[in-house]
Amino acid sequence: MFLQWFPAIFGSLLHEDFFRSRRSLLEFKTMGRSRKSRRWGEVWLARPSLPESKRGAGVWRSCLFLLVLFALALTGCNNENISVYRIPKENNQVSLQTGSGNLAPPPPSNPASWTKPDGWTEKALSEMRLGSFQVAGTNDETADVSVTAFPGDAGGVESNVNRWRGQVHQPTLEGDQLAQSWQEETVDGVPTIIVDVQTPDGTEKASAILGAVMRTADRTWFVKMTGPPDLLKTQKDNFLRFVRSFHFPSTSDEEKPQQQEPPADQVKSTNDR
Amino acid sequence: MTGKQQALQATPSSAPAAARPGTPVTALLKDVFKPLASLRLTIVCLACAMFIVFVGTLDQVQIGVYEAQLRYFKSFFLYFTLPGSQFRIPYFPGGYTLGAVLLINLIAAHLARFKFTWKKCGILILHSGLILLLIGQLVTSIFEEESQIQLDEGQTKNYSESPYFDELAIIDQSKPDSDAVISIPASRLIKGQTISLPIKGLQLRVDESYENAALINPNQLPSPNYPHLRLGPMAVAVAIQKTYKQNERNQPTAGVTLLKDDQPVGSWALSSGFPQPVQFKIGSDPFEIVFRPKRYYRPFSITLEEFKHDRYAGTDIAKNFSSKVRLVDPSAHENREALIYMNHPLWYSDLILYQAGFGNNDKTTVLQVMKNPSRLLPYIACGLMALGLVIQFGMHLVSFVRRRVIT
Repeated sequence: MFLQWFPAIFGSLLHEDFFRSRRSLLEFKTMGRSRKSRRWGEVWLARPSLPESKRGAGVWRSCLFLLVLFALALTGCNNENISVYRIPKENNQVSLQTGSGNLAPPPPSNPASWTKPDGWTEKALSEMRLGSFQVAGTNDETADVSVTAFPGDAGGVESNVNRWRGQVHQPTLEGDQLAQSWQEETVDGVPTIIVDVQTPDGTEKASAILGAVMRTADRTWFVKMTGPPDLLKTQKDNFLRFVRSFHFPSTSDEEKPQQQEPPADQVKSTNDR
Repeated sequence: MTGKQQALQATPSSAPAAARPGTPVTALLKDVFKPLASLRLTIVCLACAMFIVFVGTLDQVQIGVYEAQLRYFKSFFLYFTLPGSQFRIPYFPGGYTLGAVLLINLIAAHLARFKFTWKKCGILILHSGLILLLIGQLVTSIFEEESQIQLDEGQTKNYSESPYFDELAIIDQSKPDSDAVISIPASRLIKGQTISLPIKGLQLRVDESYENAALINPNQLPSPNYPHLRLGPMAVAVAIQKTYKQNERNQPTAGVTLLKDDQPVGSWALSSGFPQPVQFKIGSDPFEIVFRPKRYYRPFSITLEEFKHDRYAGTDIAKNFSSKVRLVDPSAHENREALIYMNHPLWYSDLILYQAGFGNNDKTTVLQVMKNPSRLLPYIACGLMALGLVIQFGMHLVSFVRRRVIT
């Protein structure tokens, strides 16, 4: 904190008053006065005064100078500084503030549970992933599995499936054509669709997507496996077993009435009526 | 002649000083402070202050209380931004300038004009109260810290969050017992700039920065090429106008790249509207990066045990809001329960915690946390001013009564 005041102190050293006082100190020396009379306070006060006509201007300059000092001191104390501090280890408590147009998913209060198939390795969670796995195949091939959940319909099943199709260079489909491209089933009482798409034959970098979209009452869950088509073919059974292992406590158990409540992150002031 | 007077006579400035009564030092001070002590200056400053209070109050409708305070009262000048450019032209003194000039003016008036006599001691006390009030306001505006703790029932927190400011926090989790947090204020994230961070030779490059952003589904983009930051597979951020509404919060969003020894460690798009930490590693050291409301960590923790929202019988009109909290401070061997409700804040160390809000079907409380080292100064200042007035008018009254008795 005190470091921030240094510019102000340094500035005051550069102020003309300082030099003027040094000059008068020299004057004392040359006049051969006794050392006893040389006190800094007197030296400052005994500086040569300006001519009467200019004295007002000098004072205004001092006033302006004081203001600049004041400004410097203030700018040193605001919220603009990068700070480093240590805190005890903590669990990641994510706070969600309300804001305009916030569509980010709130942390699931009642997350789904699932069973990981043998041979899949858990990876660190990142960004919006609630589950993340790596599947190793032969020839150093790997596939990636992600589990994400978003509020509401997350933009609609159709657009999400078409987005996946786009990622493997498949044309966008609509209506019945699209519905025929996926399999429908029910997982833990939740309507689920299974998508299996891959790049067209002859594509330079072949890849495939196995996806599942599960629409619970309050959010949409996405399970997506991406990787080389050969590996995904061998892993399809594992993937389906994984999707079918999902259990959604909030929808299958008796907790549905909570749907009518306002969003949890809406906070009101006690001053509001 | 004393040595002091001899010394003063040795310089040209001693001539006017010697001509005045009183000690040379006070005479010189008077010389210096006389133009600053001008009463005309006082009147002009008071008129300007009235003007900014008037305009600032009107502008609160447009820009909200907080922004109006910043622009009109916690500023040196009022600025006019040239349309279509970044140039700001100062056109009127702001609250800080007026306060500072008034303070200097008042002090100068005392040094240049007033003599200390018992007759005037009432005025002196009154004015010292006024000076204390002005200084107190300055100290408050510099050191005051306002934040909030939002707690669900059963939840414990050892930090409060700023309702206005956001920070980009990089958390070094390599030590087993504690984490190091580098907090970069959102206002420092300016597109194209590289910020040197104070640990491990890290640098942060700001690739993109939005003051406020809306988080939307990628499908909602007007076109795929519309400028946006991709926060994740299902959310993108697009820049929107800064909001000044009291019940809304800006969601600054930035695309940043972390560099170690000029080599990129990783790039992320982060938004304070989605304060989910992202984990990464530098070498073998685990790190986290998150854009979130600015946090103020405390040496104690607060747990919400119960929140109550009482209503008048048969109506929905609020009667009482109260939060039963448990305060634990291991360093001070403090572990106690406290009830926070209207006019009964919790005072702890240099903080005051007020009941401020609620939500989540009365399961969540919001406590306002105030830190103001000069909170007692206005009371002392007002006390001094009242005392000064009583003494001054009392003395007049006594002399008036005496004269009446004599006649």
